[in-house]
Amino acid sequence: MSQQSQTLPAPGPASVRGRRLLELLGAVSIAATFIFLVLTQPADITNGLASGSTLVALGGFLLGAILLIIGVLPTLPTSTLVLIPVALVLNIALGQIMGSTGLPFYFDAIGTVLIAVLAGPAAGAATGALSSIVWSFINPTVLPFAAGAALIGFLAGLAARCGLFRRFYLAPVAGFVTGILAGVVSAPIAAFVFGGTAGAGTGAIVSAFRAMGDTLLAAITKQALISDPMDKAIVFAVVAMLVYALPRRTALQFAFVRRFNVLAGKTQETPGD
Amino acid sequence: MPNRRPALNPLTTLAAAVAAAVMTTAASSWAVSLAVASAAAVLAVRAGVGARLAPAAAVILAPFWLSLLIMHGLFFPEGRTVLAQWGAARVTTEGLGFALDMGTRTAAYVMVFLLFSFTVRLPDLVAVMSARRVPPQFGYVLASTLTLAPAVTVRLARIRQAQESRGLVLRGGPLRRLAAARQQMVPLVLALIQDAGDRAQALDSRGFNASRERTSYREVPDTAAQRTFRAVALAAAAAAVGLRISGHWPEGLWMVGLWPDAPSPVALLAVALLARGVPA
Repeated sequence: MSQQSQTLPAPGPASVRGRRLLELLGAVSIAATFIFLVLTQPADITNGLASGSTLVALGGFLLGAILLIIGVLPTLPTSTLVLIPVALVLNIALGQIMGSTGLPFYFDAIGTVLIAVLAGPAAGAATGALSSIVWSFINPTVLPFAAGAALIGFLAGLAARCGLFRRFYLAPVAGFVTGILAGVVSAPIAAFVFGGTAGAGTGAIVSAFRAMGDTLLAAITKQALISDPMDKAIVFAVVAMLVYALPRRTALQFAFVRRFNVLAGKTQETPGD
Repeated sequence: MPNRRPALNPLTTLAAAVAAAVMTTAASSWAVSLAVASAAAVLAVRAGVGARLAPAAAVILAPFWLSLLIMHGLFFPEGRTVLAQWGAARVTTEGLGFALDMGTRTAAYVMVFLLFSFTVRLPDLVAVMSARRVPPQFGYVLASTLTLAPAVTVRLARIRQAQESRGLVLRGGPLRRLAAARQQMVPLVLALIQDAGDRAQALDSRGFNASRERTSYREVPDTAAQRTFRAVALAAAAAAVGLRISGHWPEGLWMVGLWPDAPSPVALLAVALLARGVPA
């Protein structure tokens, strides 16, 4: 392992345990916030502005995302860390290229999913959360969605680890499932923090469900279940295409790719494992 | 750039932005939200970032407002006071009020944070954070991304020119467009990952991953008054959250007409201090 610097002391077991605890607390915070919101929403939304729920949603999800970042970031090797800014810029730039194709999707998670496939679930989750925080310097409305973005990165890494990127047709399936979960987690944020969705197209879908008498949270969740799985299925397929377009030397420099045989036909060279 | 007064510590402006956003959310009244958003706009103009901030905020808020207006203005099943009706669409007072509340609240949130991010000095923010034991990796990601983004845009333009000179056509059916997108994406991603590898080696050889305490060349000024202000602002924000969640928010004051809600002067003060961080 020539990558490791030989002058640096290895972190002790106590600090490793502390970071695991932070990751765990972060995940618990996100899960608990989501459960609280789903349980309390029917009483809140009819009272007009659900200010208490808004504060709980913002606080719980952001706290979880920040704990995840603090827990995961110091454990990442430098070769993975330098990819995170690249991932975030890709989220923006590839979104622009896709925008120029005129197709009705947003693709704001390509970079996050790419990192997750190359470097694993923890790196993916940290990238997703960090993306939201850094991107909020330009568009503050993405900040509350940090927990959903972390979930997307985590699930993408999990899918890669389970070998779903070894078959090209399995990647969109994994994306579809990820989209369902991410949509369900993000819907309470859209409902309680912003009272709706940003796009005119998604707004029309929400309006249709509202016209049928759904609560706001139910309508936005149904809209998310229509848009997000399709979007993420395409994102996962695009990432699979990108990963296989990488030279094998580049893809195999990531320990996660070597260790879990993430890519088909790239398993022969596993030096040092 | 002429520097009329020393810039505030980035943590002070960040605390002011967070406190203003939290208290506006807790107050949850369109008048307070509108006041905070307008105050942020005025301060942005005074700080000289108005011309950059206005389009950035408009791009975010215009589609959002339009979407809210269609969503709640026309379809609000909880609404009782019907103003107009066409088939399934009903314009209700409650729906319009909800759209107004949410629209102004989000506007205040967006304006306050954009004011912070457009006025903060990024190197100061990164230096302050690493002095506060925030993992140095966070500062690296933040600063690196915001400087990388313009470079990537330039690079993407060059890749497109190169591919167009080889016969890339950006028009045509969906499949042709997808193929064109692929011809631009693959070189971009390859080049970025290659560059990242080079940077990793450079960072590693300079002890980037060391867990020791590090010193900084950059001294960010801080004063006792700013420290006190940060403590007060965050305590006020916490108190506002506590009052709102425990259900003891003083709504009565609002109804009697004692303008404004108790903590909102603090929110306005926070916005005022936020803008002082600007080298005018």
